[in-house]
Amino acid sequence: MSRELPSIETETPATPLEERLVAYLDGELDAQESQAVEELVSRDPQARETLERLERTWHLLDALPRSEVGDQFTQSTLEMVTVAAEDEARQQAARRPWRHARQWLLGLSGAVVAALAGYLAVAAWAPDPNRTLLEDLPVIEDLDEYRQIDDIEFLRLLHKEGLFLQEPGDEG
Amino acid sequence: MAITESSGERRALRDPDVRLMLEVRAGNAAAFEELMLRYQNRVVTVLEHLVGSRDLAEDLAQEVFLRVYRSRQSYHPDAKFSTWLFTIVNNVASNALRTKRRRREITVGGGQSTGGESLDAMAAAPSGQMPARQLDKAEMREIIRVALGSLNERQRLAVLLCKFEEMSYAEIAEAMDLSPQAIKSLLARARVNLRQLLEPYLQHGQLPAAGRKAGDDRPGDAEGPPGPPATPPSPPT
Repeated sequence: MSRELPSIETETPATPLEERLVAYLDGELDAQESQAVEELVSRDPQARETLERLERTWHLLDALPRSEVGDQFTQSTLEMVTVAAEDEARQQAARRPWRHARQWLLGLSGAVVAALAGYLAVAAWAPDPNRTLLEDLPVIEDLDEYRQIDDIEFLRLLHKEGLFLQEPGDEG
Repeated sequence: MAITESSGERRALRDPDVRLMLEVRAGNAAAFEELMLRYQNRVVTVLEHLVGSRDLAEDLAQEVFLRVYRSRQSYHPDAKFSTWLFTIVNNVASNALRTKRRRREITVGGGQSTGGESLDAMAAAPSGQMPARQLDKAEMREIIRVALGSLNERQRLAVLLCKFEEMSYAEIAEAMDLSPQAIKSLLARARVNLRQLLEPYLQHGQLPAAGRKAGDDRPGDAEGPPGPPATPPSPPT
């Protein structure tokens, strides 16, 4: 006559003593806790019996078979990985032209921005030789007439009066 | 925090398998093959005891190694390689067992029972219909396999990692994404369950004389679920 095996989830959990004994067998207790367990099992026959039973059944698992795969498994797994590696390489190669185009565009934009910034900097800071010419234009236009005046002080007086600041073509 | 991480990394780098994995990350195919050769039997062993089928275990092991390869760029050497590997094993096995459970539910819902191996069924196999007799090694191994299969999935994986991989509670906790305290409780429950299931056979070394139940599957069915048996083990008479 058989009865239903209770589900493991609904079984009574291990007692604190059993937990300690199992941790002791697994070498998971520190020196002090291990010593406490050893003292307990030396004076408590029931605890010693529980420890021995747990240990005996644990050793039974050594009889479980270990799998050994053949060369075919190794070969087919490596082939699968090789296929995966090739797929990866193909996907990367497919992405590469876009990546190159993006890098090229970024480089071009950078060059344009740098050129514009350079132009503006030069325009702002470098002296413009034409500016002097433009400023002296009213004098240059009538230079022959001014040469006929011998008195430089008179010319300076005219300059002070603002005669040479007139725009070319401004008459009177 | 940074100090802890770097010391963790330093510890991990002492693991030769971590160094191999770093070579895999750098694109060394020979290092991947070496890692596979070192771990393939161990991974298949754990998976076979978890899912109860050699063929499925090999398929899942291939999936595991494929994931190892695909994850190589995101791999960080902050733990032992085996801990990282068995985290992947846990994920792959959990997915497979979930799918298997769903399929079984559909089948059972359709009126067919897949039937599970049980210690009673094994005891009642033709050779067991005779009066009590000594167990031979193969029978004992089969009883242990079925007892392990009767644990729930988490207990079973924790037992396998502890027994076969000799992983510490902290490493098992990391691989199973649980706390070390939870692993301590899980393993204690598993060990108590195993003791209850196996002790009668251990004490007497005999199979009980019992009648075979109609419809029980024979042990060794490659596709048979490793889940809880339908009937409990009968202590030897």
